[in-house]
Amino acid sequence: MNSGIKTKKTYDVIVMIIMIILAILFAFPLYWIITGSFKDAAAINAAVPEWFPHNPIKDNYVRLMAKPAFKWLFNAVFISVTSMALTCITASMAGYALAKKRFAGQKTLFTLLICAMALPKQVVLVPLLKEMSFLGLHDTMWAVILPTVGWPFGIFLLKQFSEGIPTEMLEAVRIDGAGEIQTFTTMVLPMVKPGIGALAIFTFISTWNDYFLQLIMLNSSDVLTISLGIAKLQAEMSNDFGLIMAGASLGAIPIVAIFLMFQKYFTQGITMGAVKG
Amino acid sequence: MSKNSNVPARSKVLSRRETRTAYLFLLPALVFFIGFVIIPMVLCLITSFFNYTMGDFSFIGIENYVKMFQDDIFLVALKNTILIVVVAVPTVTAFSLWVGASIYNMHAISRSFFRCIFYLPVVTGSVAVSVVWKWMFNKYNGLFNNVLTGMGVIDQKISWLGDERFALWCIIVILFTTSIGQPIVLYVAALGNVDPSQTEAAEVDGATKFQTFWKIKWPAIMPTTLYILIITTINSFQCYALIQLLTSGGPNHSTETIMYYIYYQAFKLNNYGYGNAMGIFLAIIIAIFSAIQLRVGKSDN
Amino acid sequence: MKKFLALLLTGAMTMSLVACGKQEAAPSNEDANAPAEAPAEEAPAEEPAADDAAAAPADGAVAGDITLWTYPVGKFGDAEAVGELVAAFNQKYPDVNVTVEYLDYQTGDDQVTAAIEAGTTPDLVLEGPERLVANWGAKGKMIDLSDLWDADTTADITANSAAVEAACKSSDGAYYEYPLCMTTHTMCINQELFEEADAMQYINEDRTWTVENFEKALQALKDHGVETTGVVYCGGQGGDQGTRALAMNLYNAQWTDAGHTEWTMNSAEGVKGLQQLKDWVDAGLLSSDAGIVASDEIQLFANETIAMSFCWNAANQLTYAAQTAFTPYAVAFPSEDGVPELCGGIWGFGIFDNGDAAKVDAAKAFIKFVCDDPTQGPESVKLTGFFPVRSSFGNIYEGTEDEERMTVYASFAQWLGDYYNVTLGWAEQRTAWWNLLQQIFGGEDVQTAADNYVNTCNEATTAASN
Repeated sequence: MNSGIKTKKTYDVIVMIIMIILAILFAFPLYWIITGSFKDAAAINAAVPEWFPHNPIKDNYVRLMAKPAFKWLFNAVFISVTSMALTCITASMAGYALAKKRFAGQKTLFTLLICAMALPKQVVLVPLLKEMSFLGLHDTMWAVILPTVGWPFGIFLLKQFSEGIPTEMLEAVRIDGAGEIQTFTTMVLPMVKPGIGALAIFTFISTWNDYFLQLIMLNSSDVLTISLGIAKLQAEMSNDFGLIMAGASLGAIPIVAIFLMFQKYFTQGITMGAVKG
Repeated sequence: MSKNSNVPARSKVLSRRETRTAYLFLLPALVFFIGFVIIPMVLCLITSFFNYTMGDFSFIGIENYVKMFQDDIFLVALKNTILIVVVAVPTVTAFSLWVGASIYNMHAISRSFFRCIFYLPVVTGSVAVSVVWKWMFNKYNGLFNNVLTGMGVIDQKISWLGDERFALWCIIVILFTTSIGQPIVLYVAALGNVDPSQTEAAEVDGATKFQTFWKIKWPAIMPTTLYILIITTINSFQCYALIQLLTSGGPNHSTETIMYYIYYQAFKLNNYGYGNAMGIFLAIIIAIFSAIQLRVGKSDN
Repeated sequence: MKKFLALLLTGAMTMSLVACGKQEAAPSNEDANAPAEAPAEEAPAEEPAADDAAAAPADGAVAGDITLWTYPVGKFGDAEAVGELVAAFNQKYPDVNVTVEYLDYQTGDDQVTAAIEAGTTPDLVLEGPERLVANWGAKGKMIDLSDLWDADTTADITANSAAVEAACKSSDGAYYEYPLCMTTHTMCINQELFEEADAMQYINEDRTWTVENFEKALQALKDHGVETTGVVYCGGQGGDQGTRALAMNLYNAQWTDAGHTEWTMNSAEGVKGLQQLKDWVDAGLLSSDAGIVASDEIQLFANETIAMSFCWNAANQLTYAAQTAFTPYAVAFPSEDGVPELCGGIWGFGIFDNGDAAKVDAAKAFIKFVCDDPTQGPESVKLTGFFPVRSSFGNIYEGTEDEERMTVYASFAQWLGDYYNVTLGWAEQRTAWWNLLQQIFGGEDVQTAADNYVNTCNEATTAASN
């Protein structure tokens, strides 16, 4: 028993050491970007890396602010938050129905969802472009939001979470006379909250980072997003890494904030149910 | 036939009512899904039978699909794509499970800390991440060459992204770091919710740590694993942003993936029809992979 | 379920028909009786041009909102500088409202493609003939600017270089670009390092050199202890004019035939040049790297990791001035006979065919003001950091702080070669080229690789001209 505890302790220490090493590796790119945003071009490209900026400068941020960076930041937040909210609402309703209702066409619909998830987004961009142009929405933020909400990933995730709700509990509530909507809001929603938290984070971040969809759908500088803005800072004949890193540092703030805000949901609640369908 | 008996009639009414309720719940999602995914998808399928470019739109039957299998670059891309999936999916899943298992019972603060750290590459965004990795892989003053020559592992500096032998593996490494954040988050949640009384009971019965994990926790987190497998498969198949930013498919097509090739055909050469045909083909492969995973996952339960 | 699917399909078909119909109607409505599948793009471009010529803009009479998209040609990527230009234009044309959006070379083409497919193209775009003429023009997306190319203008520009007019004109005789500025692309060496290595002696007074002397210079740098002399970058298409000019000049090869219909780098001279590069790399005199593109190579040059850059021009010297602690000394590409044939860059404006005559008039007024106005014209050229296409502008840098630097680069204009970038299938060629270099440095037989390259390009050219 004693030796068992000892091995367990040694194991824990080893794991901790490995974890810390990995943590450093994983944190390094962001560290390098943040410190890089305070370096001049010569320091960023120095043959001997400057692990910490010797002469921190704010020039990169000054140049970033000369562009409508805050407008881009606002646009990105608007697009991501709207997509996130709409996705969470529609996906939690649909996920519940798919997991806990028996209805005609259920199997087909689920297969369709999986197939749609498999199809690469880039392939449908041209038809999507035509559609947005037809609806008169090209070059507006809705052209990015609507396809994002339509993507069935969220339905799939929340269906998995809803499978974990015990059917007996739903029936008990129903016997007590609760209507469908009441069952959903008072019973289902609280139980799939961790799933919604996860979906909120995933949707926010993937929308934020999906610069290609933004590139195709947005032209005017008053609807550009910060990710797109950063992508467009790359020039053919010169690498303005300082400016790119300043933009990326600024752009990381809202994402980290969202992550910290929603991650508390993971500590409570239930797990996913079995995959059926 | 339900007229003959009361019970089936009632259940039919009930089931009709349930169907109606279900579709009412599905309605908002379906509006978006059909409007902005299914319709473009159907268009994509239809146009894959056309010679659809910026200046032409004429029906050519399955010619795009035939052309695909005579296109050497497409075949190389197919091979590379499958290699990425076969390597990345198991490693991402296994590694995130290991990290998840190691951190889920830590103190809340360190658990949050690690979960956050492993999520950072996702947070940073692919453009900026690729700038950093490009520097680390750089031949002349990159981090890896400095470290490896310093340690005496290599004596010639290597252009990691410019060497056919290494380029694809470099891409897989970066893909790995940007892919594990989401699985870890899900695994920590799933493992935290395995009923502790069950594991305790097993341990009292004298089961080893490994046995407890294999007999109790593994089945409990199986749905999560399945979900992670499917999502990681889809993401790995669709890997393209890193390639666009780092290698453009080179050197000598060694990092060419189907997704990058689709992008190249559609957006650089405006061969939309051909790109769509490859996209449909890719979707079929991904769907097959997902179906296999679902089947295996179900028989496991 | 079948019903559901059928409904879906019907919906999708209707949608596609409507979408197609719209696409047709949007760009040019003069071709209403085209069959449903035939795109409007193939409509003859002469017709709208003739209409526009009839309604030639009278000064001050033009009004409306126009949009300009600029690629970052010098300061045309800088909002402040372009803002001043627009303000000057509005002094003369107060009723034209110009909105400017800034593209970059990484994502710009995708954005234009998207805009073309969505029918939201800008009115004006600033770039070079390979896009305006050989790509969008050839696909029928641009308006013929023949009326701007009057006899005086043509004479003025041709007096400077006949290549410019040829480059702005498509094979069917329409002008899809109205040029503003031009330059020659050169290479550049680290002067101090060359002096230390005693290699400056191999460069002629007029900044040209022979292949023999270039090799001697590489050897001298090596003997001096320079680890990497120069890098033949081939990780992508960025700055590929540099590697093209290098390979082509060594043994005076031609990139295409004179009529720009066929690719010719698999000729004896072309293959000899490519083989020479391969031999130098194998001997350690040069390096090749499929992991970097031009911007990375210039950066290595700027921080003195390498001794020369193959991607240089007047604007680059200015961009990197703050980062270089040495003297960048621009030189021509080495050639066997010492007479180089340099790649040019020609930038100017094109107008997208958006089917609105009033906007076209306003856009033309803008072009004429920016390019031809006696006071604004030279200023616009200065914004680009390059040289005017009009000979009548003379030496616009005379008496400015840039005079010395620009005089050096002006001296290269005498070696300006054929502008073969307008050959159809250009986009395929660009990718095929850096792939060719990767194959050669990866060990493939040079003649075979070059033949494959030429085949790929010729197929693309044939496909594009049908």
